[in-house]
Amino acid sequence: MQIEVKNLSFTYSKDSKNLSNKALDDINLTINEGDFFGIIGQTGSGKTTFVQHLNGLIRLQKNSGEIKIGDFDLSDKKCDFKALRSKVGMVFQYPEHQLFAETVFEDVAFGLKNFQPNLCDIEIAQRVEDALFMVGLDFNKIKDKSPFELSGGQKRRVAIAGVIVTRPEVLVLDEPAAGLDPIGKRDFIELLHRLHRTFVKTIIIVSHDMNLVSENCNRAGIFSKGKLIEVGTPKEIFANVEKIKALGLDLPTTAKLMHELKSKGVNIDCDLTVQGFIHAITGRGAK
Amino acid sequence: MSLINLENVSFSYDKRINAVSNVTLSVEQGQYVAIIGHNGSGKSTLAKLFNGLVLPDSGSLLVDGLDVLNKKHLLEIRKRVGVVFQNPDNQLVASIVEDDVAFGPENLGVNRNEIGERIDFALSSVGMQNFRHSSPTRLSGGQKQRIAIAGVLALKPKILVLDESTAMLDPQGRKDVLDVALKLNKEQKVTVINITHYMDEVVSADKVIVMNKGKIAMSGTPKEIFRQKQKIEEYKLELPLPAIIADKLIEQGVGIKDGVLTERELAEELCRLK
Repeated sequence: MQIEVKNLSFTYSKDSKNLSNKALDDINLTINEGDFFGIIGQTGSGKTTFVQHLNGLIRLQKNSGEIKIGDFDLSDKKCDFKALRSKVGMVFQYPEHQLFAETVFEDVAFGLKNFQPNLCDIEIAQRVEDALFMVGLDFNKIKDKSPFELSGGQKRRVAIAGVIVTRPEVLVLDEPAAGLDPIGKRDFIELLHRLHRTFVKTIIIVSHDMNLVSENCNRAGIFSKGKLIEVGTPKEIFANVEKIKALGLDLPTTAKLMHELKSKGVNIDCDLTVQGFIHAITGRGAK
Repeated sequence: MSLINLENVSFSYDKRINAVSNVTLSVEQGQYVAIIGHNGSGKSTLAKLFNGLVLPDSGSLLVDGLDVLNKKHLLEIRKRVGVVFQNPDNQLVASIVEDDVAFGPENLGVNRNEIGERIDFALSSVGMQNFRHSSPTRLSGGQKQRIAIAGVLALKPKILVLDESTAMLDPQGRKDVLDVALKLNKEQKVTVINITHYMDEVVSADKVIVMNKGKIAMSGTPKEIFRQKQKIEEYKLELPLPAIIADKLIEQGVGIKDGVLTERELAEELCRLK
């Protein structure tokens, strides 16, 4: 499913005629099927408002642009939002705060039962087992536990199982790695790549972690004051150092290294992944 | 005598498993100490012990010579140790910034004139004096955390504890909060204890403490700690990214020296080759 956003604007307070109050201001963006797309920007730049439009959590305002996701036209009043939400899964910051059921099984099954009320119990059990397996949890060991007695990392996995159980083609994650320890974060990113190789065709990730974006995303966009001011590969969007700093953002470590080297008269070129940086150095005959 | 002194301190939430187990450590006046460890390693419990939010089940804990187990000392200890937690929205209490900063000293019965001075001092220390009459709800995450720090500074603490205070912030907010903490440390000799998952915040510390299963697993300077790569791995931590890159380069036969921690050090090493 391709995501196409045209001239999207959004204002939180309707009575406000002040144009500077726009949370989103004329956003145009195409996210292709298969993208691992990063969204960066300061707090309050419109990132979350934008991604909440993608599964209809925030509805388009009148005459404020259009969004098409596959065959879904979100500007159309007849758009089937329930069906959309089973195709576009949303994982929020601290997803573990959304756990609520008495057992892990019930928690994961909740969304599925809601979206697909016709499934029989056997099918539901199978889908819940698959979802827990995909996030790396042992179904038999964990299904009857209370979600609240699990570790932080496990809770986060259960919460994600509850989203992917409907087999969404697009997975949107808003700051999913905040608060995880280094290994927790590494495992979590591996999980996203694993999902990306299955039914999840497109991943959209909002993050304050520039290294996460440069290392994992093929494309990314920068939001600032409600506008999408830059879209491209990580190498393209982090190219202008002064601009990145003026926006209150940071450079990925690899870009900082390139910048430091450049100031010492050494020019190297790479895609900003760690592997790319290492190739660039060894390729120069630095052995 | 050390500013904070723990001897064989243990604490358990459920009386079964010790969240902090037999910990002995000391923090000196004016130090910048970083505490790292994976989720559930006991880091945050340690922060709560420092200002008596939880009390040791056994062992002794002295803050500036005061015993936390003596109830009469608790208020004095909390004046000396200010803690800033992870979520800024949970820590601000008033609808105007200056009222929020005044909340602590007012509770302690500081007189009116002095409260005014303390608000000036606290807000200018965190670079937020222009927001004195603003509403905290309109501030960014980083600004809110700086107000939370100001609220702590208004108590004139000797020790500032940051308990993952930068985890929810954007890069600018994170930098601002860290800069403020380090400036207080350098210029006003406030002792700073930073509990964090960001390894790049650790490299400038005087002392690093690694927690694992409620115990102190390692302690030393950043160089000493990050030199022990296998242990770092074992305690489910990670080297700072420049150090990871340096290791990979060395593996590939690039002749740079071991032990770099920052981008600058690595860039200098790489230039030396040319």
